Amino acid sequence: MVYREIGKRIQQAREENGLTQEELAAKLGCTQAALSNYELGKRRLYLSLLNEMARILNKPFDYFMDWTVRKEDDSVSRLLLDPELKELLVEAARLPSKERKLVLDFINWRNNQP
Amino acid sequence: MIGFTLTEEQVALQKTARDFADKYMRPYARELDRMPSPHFDWKIIDRFAAHGMLSFFIPKEYGGLGLDAVSCAIVCEELAAACDGQQGVISGSMLVADCLRVGGTEEQKRKYLTLLADKKGKVGAVGITEPDAGSDMQSISTRAIRDGDGYVITGAKHYITNAGVADLYLILATTDPARKYAALDFFIVPGDSPGLSLGKVEDKVGQRASQNGDVILDNVRVPAGNLLGRPGTGFLVAMQALDLKRPLMAICGVGIARSAYETALDYSKKRIQFGRPIFHNQAVAFALADMATKIDAARFMTWRACHLIDQGLEFTREASMAKIVASECAMEVCSRAMHLMGAVGYSRDLPIEKYFRDAKALSVIEGGNEIQRSIVAEQL
Repeated sequence: MVYREIGKRIQQAREENGLTQEELAAKLGCTQAALSNYELGKRRLYLSLLNEMARILNKPFDYFMDWTVRKEDDSVSRLLLDPELKELLVEAARLPSKERKLVLDFINWRNNQP
Repeated sequence: MIGFTLTEEQVALQKTARDFADKYMRPYARELDRMPSPHFDWKIIDRFAAHGMLSFFIPKEYGGLGLDAVSCAIVCEELAAACDGQQGVISGSMLVADCLRVGGTEEQKRKYLTLLADKKGKVGAVGITEPDAGSDMQSISTRAIRDGDGYVITGAKHYITNAGVADLYLILATTDPARKYAALDFFIVPGDSPGLSLGKVEDKVGQRASQNGDVILDNVRVPAGNLLGRPGTGFLVAMQALDLKRPLMAICGVGIARSAYETALDYSKKRIQFGRPIFHNQAVAFALADMATKIDAARFMTWRACHLIDQGLEFTREASMAKIVASECAMEVCSRAMHLMGAVGYSRDLPIEKYFRDAKALSVIEGGNEIQRSIVAEQL
């Protein structure tokens, strides 16, 4: 069950990035059949490969794991209790959309560093 | 290419492990098995350490022998054949090493794998299971709360191999129960940490030479750098490490089965009834033939899983298959050996009953065989 949920998120992230299974598989160095099995949860995904997927798909690692509770509002409210994070959000909101994307890209890149 | 021939190095390794097991494990097996619980004989660790048996699975760059999975299986079969209870002490450390290799930072590997390879004899323990959480890891309730530059861990772990014995614990805890799998992390906890203590020690049916018990964590403080690897990886590290360890659990079944089979074979050639050894009765010889066949099958399935690991190929399904076959083979062979030897086999004078009790653990621990079947089924 866990691997099926992770697989769904891989598929979602892959589609958001406009990649076919063949294209992502080529970047990962695995076969399309293997990637299909990861997305279907039929094959166990190990840590190093998921890290690599997160890097290629430009997603934070948490994106693939944090699927059991998706109460976005609750979790965002909780985060905003931190004054630093609140300031980050307020300042980010003042940026044009394109520049916000750059900041987000940097954060995702930073989160994917070992 | 498929090959079943061991290399010269592997043959030498097998002989070294067998000699060690015959000299330093087998002679103590019966006595250790019969000690009243709780009891742990620290000399087990001394003997292992003196002969490099606590570090053969540690990579060379961290002070170990750096054996691959197939070679580790060859060694473990010999150790388990002599006494799977004593072998269990090594098994606990192996799981720690696998977790560190899979999820640890380079700094953590250098510090803690080197510690496990220490010639003074250090052992490790992995704490995953809790009274209300085993295979269902999202139910883990041990909490790790961030506090300044560290974490404070509180909870209880259950049935932990090397509890109270380990120099180093890897404790799986949640940093936020609402986030379930995403908030699970391993924390490196030194064995002498204030607040860490041994709870109830299990009075086990078998594998009595190793110690399993509860590990209590009462506000145990560790630096933030003791979170293994990066946050949120605990679940995946645990699953991968358990998968890697599975063939070595399987090969212990092969080792136990082999000892039971050899005991029965020897007996059947010496026991004279109606003027000839009972081995010459087809009913007896066929039973032994079945045992030998199943042991070989289990061993080859286990070697296959190890070979896949060594080649960096997908191995999960094959590892689970090996554990199912080998653990059930061990139970069947022990049962048939006991039956074949009649009243002598049923007596505690011979080790068959110990093999029988030791074997039962293998289909129960580190993912029961129902879990293994579900892993195989998921991939069909």
